[in-house]
Amino acid sequence: MEVKNMALSEQRMRVYPYYGILALLALVGLVAIGVRLAEGMRVTALSSPMAWGMWVAFYIYFIGLSAGSFLLSTLIYVFGMHQYEKVGRMALLSALFALVAGMLFVWIDLGHPWRFWKVFTRWNYTSVLAWEVLAYLFYIATLGIELWALMRCDLAHLALTVSGWRGKLYRFLTFGFRCPESEAAYRRCHAQSMRVVRILGIIGIPVAIMVHGGTGAIFAVVAAKPYWYTGLFPIIFLVSALASGAALMTFLYAFFGRKDEEHLAITRGMANLMVLFLCIDLLLLTSEFLVGLYGKIPEHIRVYHAILFGPFSYTFWVGQLLVGALIPIALATLPRTRNNIFWLGLGGLSVVIGIVAVRLNLVVPAYVVPVLEGLEHAINQPRWAYTYFPSFWEWASSIGTIALVVLLFSLAFQFLPMFHEFPQRFQAASESR
Amino acid sequence: MSATALNRRTLLQRLAQFAALLFVGGGSAVRAKEPSQLDESSLPQLPPPQPDEDVLIRMMRELQRALKKPVHERRWVMVIDLRKCVGCHACTIACIAENKLPPGVVYRPVIEEEIGEYPHVTRRFLPRPCLHCDHPPCVPVCPVHATWKRPDGIVVIDYDACIGCRYCITACPYGARSFDWGEHYSDGTPRRAEYDQSPSPEYGRQWERKGTRSPIGNARKCHFCLHRIEKGMLPQCVTSCIGRATFFGDANDPDSLVSELIAKPNVMRLKEELGTEPRVYYLV
Repeated sequence: MEVKNMALSEQRMRVYPYYGILALLALVGLVAIGVRLAEGMRVTALSSPMAWGMWVAFYIYFIGLSAGSFLLSTLIYVFGMHQYEKVGRMALLSALFALVAGMLFVWIDLGHPWRFWKVFTRWNYTSVLAWEVLAYLFYIATLGIELWALMRCDLAHLALTVSGWRGKLYRFLTFGFRCPESEAAYRRCHAQSMRVVRILGIIGIPVAIMVHGGTGAIFAVVAAKPYWYTGLFPIIFLVSALASGAALMTFLYAFFGRKDEEHLAITRGMANLMVLFLCIDLLLLTSEFLVGLYGKIPEHIRVYHAILFGPFSYTFWVGQLLVGALIPIALATLPRTRNNIFWLGLGGLSVVIGIVAVRLNLVVPAYVVPVLEGLEHAINQPRWAYTYFPSFWEWASSIGTIALVVLLFSLAFQFLPMFHEFPQRFQAASESR
Repeated sequence: MSATALNRRTLLQRLAQFAALLFVGGGSAVRAKEPSQLDESSLPQLPPPQPDEDVLIRMMRELQRALKKPVHERRWVMVIDLRKCVGCHACTIACIAENKLPPGVVYRPVIEEEIGEYPHVTRRFLPRPCLHCDHPPCVPVCPVHATWKRPDGIVVIDYDACIGCRYCITACPYGARSFDWGEHYSDGTPRRAEYDQSPSPEYGRQWERKGTRSPIGNARKCHFCLHRIEKGMLPQCVTSCIGRATFFGDANDPDSLVSELIAKPNVMRLKEELGTEPRVYYLV
């Protein structure tokens, strides 16, 4: 007991500065969001022809991270890859918080944020965006119930054994669910929970595909933007979502996973999945680029030209290609690093960061070509500019929102039962038998 | 339209509408907004017809004729004769003055093209209002049914419904929609100028731009000066065109000037390959 307490306080010494920095950044973000709400959209650097910017890029980034993490969890709970069981709750918890982040980002991007509820009262069935909002809600409900069903036995056990505010929290989170008294009942109850988890996982698969494939379709249905208007576009969204989900799990499990004899094997498994999805992603990307560049349609090739050689081409070469794909693939495959948990985790983090560049390059370049030739000179005003670099408030609110969600996620990660524990009282009983 | 207090009857109506929406799942209840009834005595008085009268007078006469028909029988179109356009930008400016457009909101820019190399140079001008497409790409993408095509063909925006997601701006292949960023011409000066405070008369209302209130934070676009049409007046860009290069009228009226013009062989429309069926025709 003594030893355990010491370890806890030591841990506290380590995590306090981390929480402090996150809380500070989150506070800055809340102030920035407050300024944005009070001042309106003029605090952004957006213009009418470049209507969607960094907030939308982060919106699709987090929706992708969510769908990717969720689909990864179905490998375990639906497709029976139980060797990755210890990643399951992490994946679902990440999916839940990432979705909240995504919805926050699309919310602050609205010209009238307080009218968001009109999506429900004036719902327009021909709008992909309207369908997506419904999909997000259905998805978040599925996720939440699945996560609770997964944790309820552990929560009920903790509610009985832990006192103080944490005990109160666990008692609240059980929502009245009681821990079975006998071992047999406990096992039955646990099996029942896993069945519920499996069913929700099966329901969740098409929902998650609709959530992120559909988010891709928001862009893909816009015939006015040839760069988006391809059948491959929503698929690229999905594959890069799977890559980012696998990368997040690699990173989380490498640094915050259970450090036992399975640690390396699980981390490597996640890293291998990440490499697989990254390679498919690169294949699809190459196909899109080659087909697009082969034609001579100006709206098409000028967008690729901007991505490859424009003023922000570093987001492609460095962000998307190097940080988002090549470095992590190397770390996960080279003999020197692939058996080292630290390097694998770093590779995962590298993809998690690099996919931000992928998302930016999916949104912003489509806008650099004027829809009518000469329109860029016809309206000579800053809010009709064809260049975009996020404003201070866009940066501040983005970093702050991310910090806020990471902070909440970290707290949930620290206090929720992330791994299944067979209650000790039963263990003792079965040993003595 | 004043701010209505929520009495019991309206509350019940709203609840019923809400329930209907939930169960039917459509937006039909919020969609129909019939334009106001025509008051013939308020229409501008016109001189008796003459054989060589100004086309503006002729178009006004035809406009008044069309207004006497039910809305769905009118088919508003615009014709722009590029051979007559001299690139004076009077329409762009008149539109800004009429609709009290703030910085960054432009309904009718004039695109200038230079053809050839010095000294063999010629210039071409292309005014671009909203094209009021028969298959408008901006309408189906709106998540809240805040923009739709009226029975007479004008694509309108309900500023009170628009949530400002800018999907329609992205979807328009002609760049016809602007976002109202909430800026003023006198920003950065000690006092907000008077012209920055004049309310916009769009859609027959008085829209004051204050704080983050609509139309700030909304998508905005040309509406063929609907508020003027319904009072028997031509769109401001037509009235202000010094070369008489812009025409407006009812294409369902076979005797109208625009019907004559769009039957000519030298007529073209922008990006016809997209299937949007624009209602703005160019004579080239």
